Amino acid sequence: MGFAFVAPLALLGLLALPLIYWLLRVTPPAPREIIFPPVRLLRDLEPQEQTPVKTPWPLLLLRLAISALASLAMAGPVWNPAGPAAAGGPLLVALDDGWAAAPGWDRRVAAAAGLIEGAERAGTAVGLMLASEGAAAPELTDGARAAEHLRAARPKPWLPDRGLAGAQVKAFARAHKTARIVWIADGLEQSGAAEFAAALREAGASGAGVEVLKEEAAPLALEGAANDAAALEVSVLRAGPRGDGVVEALDDKARLVARAPFQFAGSDKTKARFDLPIELRNEVSFLRVVGENSAGAVALLDSRGRVRRVAIVGGAAGDVAQPLLSAAYYLEKALAPFTLLLKSNPGDADPVLAALADRPNVLVLADEKVAPGEAFEALSNFVEQGGVLLRFAGPRLANDPDDLTPVRLRRNGRVLGGAMSWDTPKRLADFDGASPFFGLAVPADVAVNRQILAEPDPGLSAKTWARLADGTPLATFERRGKGVVVLFHVGADANWSNLPISGLFVEMLKRICALSNEGAADHSASAPDVDRATLPPLRTLDGFGVLGAPPATAKAIGADFPGRGDAEHPPGFYGVPGAETAVQTLAPDDSVRAFDFSKFELSPRPLEREAAVRDLRPLLLTLIFVGLLIDWLVLLWLSGRLRLAAGVTGLAVVCVLGMSINAHPARADAQKTASSAHDRDAALKTRLAYVISGDARIDETSRSGLETLSRTLDQRTSFSPGDPVGVDVARDELAFYPMLYWPINALAPQPSEKTVARVAAYMKQGGTVVFDTRDALTARANATPTPEAQWLRELAKGLDIPELEIVPRDHVITKTFYLLDGFVGRYANGDTWVEELPPERANDAPRPVRATDNVSAIVITSNDLASAWAQDKSGRPLYPLTPGGARQREMSLRGGVNLVMYTLTGNYKSDQVHVRDLLQRLGQ
Amino acid sequence: MALVADTHWFDPRAPRPDEGRAADAADLASRLPHVVAQAREVAGSVVHGVHGRRRAGAGETFWQYRPFESGESAHRVDWRRSARGDQLFVREREWEAAQNYFVWVDCSASMAFKSSLASDYKIDRAAVLGLAAAEVLVQGGERVGALGLTPALCARNIIDRLAAVISNQPPDSGVNDIAPSTALPPRAKLILVSDFLCDVEELATRLREYSQAGARGALLMILDPAEESFPFAGETLFRDTDGGAPFHAGEAQSLRAAYAERLAEHKDSLRIAARDAGFLFLLHHTDRPAAEAALALLMGLGEGMGAR
Repeated sequence: MGFAFVAPLALLGLLALPLIYWLLRVTPPAPREIIFPPVRLLRDLEPQEQTPVKTPWPLLLLRLAISALASLAMAGPVWNPAGPAAAGGPLLVALDDGWAAAPGWDRRVAAAAGLIEGAERAGTAVGLMLASEGAAAPELTDGARAAEHLRAARPKPWLPDRGLAGAQVKAFARAHKTARIVWIADGLEQSGAAEFAAALREAGASGAGVEVLKEEAAPLALEGAANDAAALEVSVLRAGPRGDGVVEALDDKARLVARAPFQFAGSDKTKARFDLPIELRNEVSFLRVVGENSAGAVALLDSRGRVRRVAIVGGAAGDVAQPLLSAAYYLEKALAPFTLLLKSNPGDADPVLAALADRPNVLVLADEKVAPGEAFEALSNFVEQGGVLLRFAGPRLANDPDDLTPVRLRRNGRVLGGAMSWDTPKRLADFDGASPFFGLAVPADVAVNRQILAEPDPGLSAKTWARLADGTPLATFERRGKGVVVLFHVGADANWSNLPISGLFVEMLKRICALSNEGAADHSASAPDVDRATLPPLRTLDGFGVLGAPPATAKAIGADFPGRGDAEHPPGFYGVPGAETAVQTLAPDDSVRAFDFSKFELSPRPLEREAAVRDLRPLLLTLIFVGLLIDWLVLLWLSGRLRLAAGVTGLAVVCVLGMSINAHPARADAQKTASSAHDRDAALKTRLAYVISGDARIDETSRSGLETLSRTLDQRTSFSPGDPVGVDVARDELAFYPMLYWPINALAPQPSEKTVARVAAYMKQGGTVVFDTRDALTARANATPTPEAQWLRELAKGLDIPELEIVPRDHVITKTFYLLDGFVGRYANGDTWVEELPPERANDAPRPVRATDNVSAIVITSNDLASAWAQDKSGRPLYPLTPGGARQREMSLRGGVNLVMYTLTGNYKSDQVHVRDLLQRLGQ
Repeated sequence: MALVADTHWFDPRAPRPDEGRAADAADLASRLPHVVAQAREVAGSVVHGVHGRRRAGAGETFWQYRPFESGESAHRVDWRRSARGDQLFVREREWEAAQNYFVWVDCSASMAFKSSLASDYKIDRAAVLGLAAAEVLVQGGERVGALGLTPALCARNIIDRLAAVISNQPPDSGVNDIAPSTALPPRAKLILVSDFLCDVEELATRLREYSQAGARGALLMILDPAEESFPFAGETLFRDTDGGAPFHAGEAQSLRAAYAERLAEHKDSLRIAARDAGFLFLLHHTDRPAAEAALALLMGLGEGMGAR
């Protein structure tokens, strides 16, 4: 806290003040000279007022103040300087960069930057050691290099081991006895905090200055997300005192599904519970703690985590006498922990139809024969539509196989072992790589006494997922349509084998249920030789808990990868889309504990205090400038060259400049009359309009972009718009413009409620607002929204926005003038959103174009359209495109033409595409 | 608060590096074509307004018929007119005897002054007026000369000739702010154009000399509007054009009233001196059109003196 001077010697300049004082006193301001012929008339007049020979005292004071400020500024005052370097020794900043450091990363980096800056000012060498780079010895560099290194640092989605870093610190302290070592700790005990602290203690003992900085708020973490039959639950852990919060569940496009609060009632572990319908819960792709931007606070849910609706038919009816021995009972016990079982009603006429009416994902038929008829048709249809039909063999199926089996079956099974057989019960063979059961351990005590055999047709082995040790199939499957039929060649009760009472049975059922949602993405069928042994990284988390493309260093995981992510296998989704396997940041039984610094005689300081190093020089220079201006004005006034009124105006201007550059000058009422003329112009000619964003560069881009678009429209279409205008949504009448182009400027203040209401009214009356967030390059699907997107969301709260969708290919907006696939701008990767169309009715003939009766009131894009359109006066484009090329520019203009024509013509073009049919009909 | 004009002083001697304060005539020469053109223009506009001498005299042009008075010689009767009625008329012709006019334009340093309120230098305006008057007079049949420099001439290109003479005065040939004392033909008419920021006593003496020599005429005082309204404020150092001691005013605006009083006194004494010598006194400001002053001057010369 307090002042410090970078160059205190410059304060000696203050000694010169008396000299300046004396000089100023004896030198009055020079009078103005005028040549004036009739001087002789004046000559004997006695002037009534004589100017003081000396400088007036306020002016004297002002000038002395200016001189004093000048020498102060030269001394380089700094407010809140970073602590002084310990005796000129080098500075080592050790920065924890695991996910636990991510929540306060900006503050940590700011603190580290402050330290580095202070060291640079003091002229000492600086080293920056990130915990994840602890294997390398810290390198002492100058401040600029260290700051660059710091800026490049990002938190990692795992916890780097600090034990290695501790060894480096020890070596560093030995080499530099007077070093100052600052540890910016994440406060977790895990990953070698104790070793590191011990190293620091040792370093401190050998003479180095040791400090510890720590974020006040303890990190939060999520682990053990479980989507079971009852609810979706996740454990929230805390490492230290932390208040209650909210966990949100998001789907794979990062749309919010639900939120659930959690409370730490004394303990460091609590649960957040989502009581949601099963369909919604299955949508959830990941959970995260609101406001806690770290990989640790994200729990991923892969396709294995979805809860399936399972119906069980058969196996129970005949065995009511001994329900605990029935196949249905074994299946219920095995399936209940991870699926939602649909209860069948014993009174139903046809149990299969009744079960299908409950819309299950998986239908289990336990030794139930399906006779041709209504139920057979319904079942076939169910499988075609993506259902999983899981059948178990049994006496009935063995006697009279039906057609709904993956393979042709032989009548009567074979009996292995027993009184009438030489054979011994067979063990299971290991699962091969193409099987979904690959990776499950085969227990040695599982044996099969009896099975149904398949006819040895060609292709039988390709249809086999599990075999007995002699190669005969245990489980076979067949894809039908989008679904799959799976047959276990043994019964679901313990009569034929002891498989149903083993743990393997549960695991196998789990994997089969996981198949049910793969739908079209059936990798096994389309690529039968895909190696299930390794799963490539699909989308991984970064340190802030944002899903994105995996880094180049990420490696594929084996199917039996154990839990926690590490440097080579960052947490995230692995595998292929639709059948992802999640690697979590925290293993299921991990805990996070706060590190006890006092055990190592370290006293961490909170991070906040390190902030706000402020160089006062700019402030002083501004003051000097203002002082000089005032002095100049006073001199002008004294010599009569300035009228008082002008002086006051000048002073006011100085004040305005000096004090509030960002004050928004309210427009005078005089503008009102001007705006009516503006409106009259707008009413007389249809023209494109853009919303003035407040940033001159954006506005100029919008203007020139719309100008080019207007020119293009004039050349190519029958619509010749007037010159584009910028409108102020808060004041100008909007009704005259069919389309408003609104580039989002995240720095602009949010419009007032009244303004938002005006925009909402404009949209209701049939206007279209094209919001352009211009952030396609930086936006990522499920990341924290960009400032622009955030701004738009804030704005949208006041607008009555209907359901939106990404422009479908058959939307009329893609056909109003050109036939387009999408709307590109300066970037080509952003999506364009419009109001959702009513869904296509199933029984309608496929129509080439769909449209509603009115124009979408809102179009949202992130592709920065105006920049792609913008050209200078000679027709040269103003901005480069990404990825670039003349075609992209042309397509962006075509998109603009389509947008404008859409707002002007509405669904007219959707009729036009039928014109050929209409003409034909007329001809007949 | 009165308007404080943002006056600036434009040094007419600036093109000439030597600091001679009386050397402004050369500068006049450089602007001569402009002055001459302006003078022709002014003369052209004034000539339509003033025709002839407007009184009966020896001349060619018809002036008026007047009733015959008994005692007149009979040959003066205009019989053609008289035959139309019972009364006898005498035909009078306009008086056309040529008179000798002398123009004097003050070329002293104080004339090379202009404020931002005016459009012309005083000396330019003085030359324009002097030359225009000469042109009009010559067209009216009079003879005009430059006082002390040329005899009275009757030349078509009187403007050019007088302009050449006036602008070619050697800088150190005693250019003075008082009209020179010189021999004059009888009944000469003098047109003295100056700012008359001179010693009134000296001027009065000179005028008396002229008067005794039988000359009459007009004084045309040219003043810059700044000299009239004193639009200065603040601490100001007033420098004299004639190299006199500068005058330091602490608060120029406080002097305005006193100055106005002084100027009025000065003008009054000028007016009295002129009246005593039988001269007309006219005042012209350089922010007014030159034709206005030329017309007033010529009308004054015609009427004010014609009665005698």
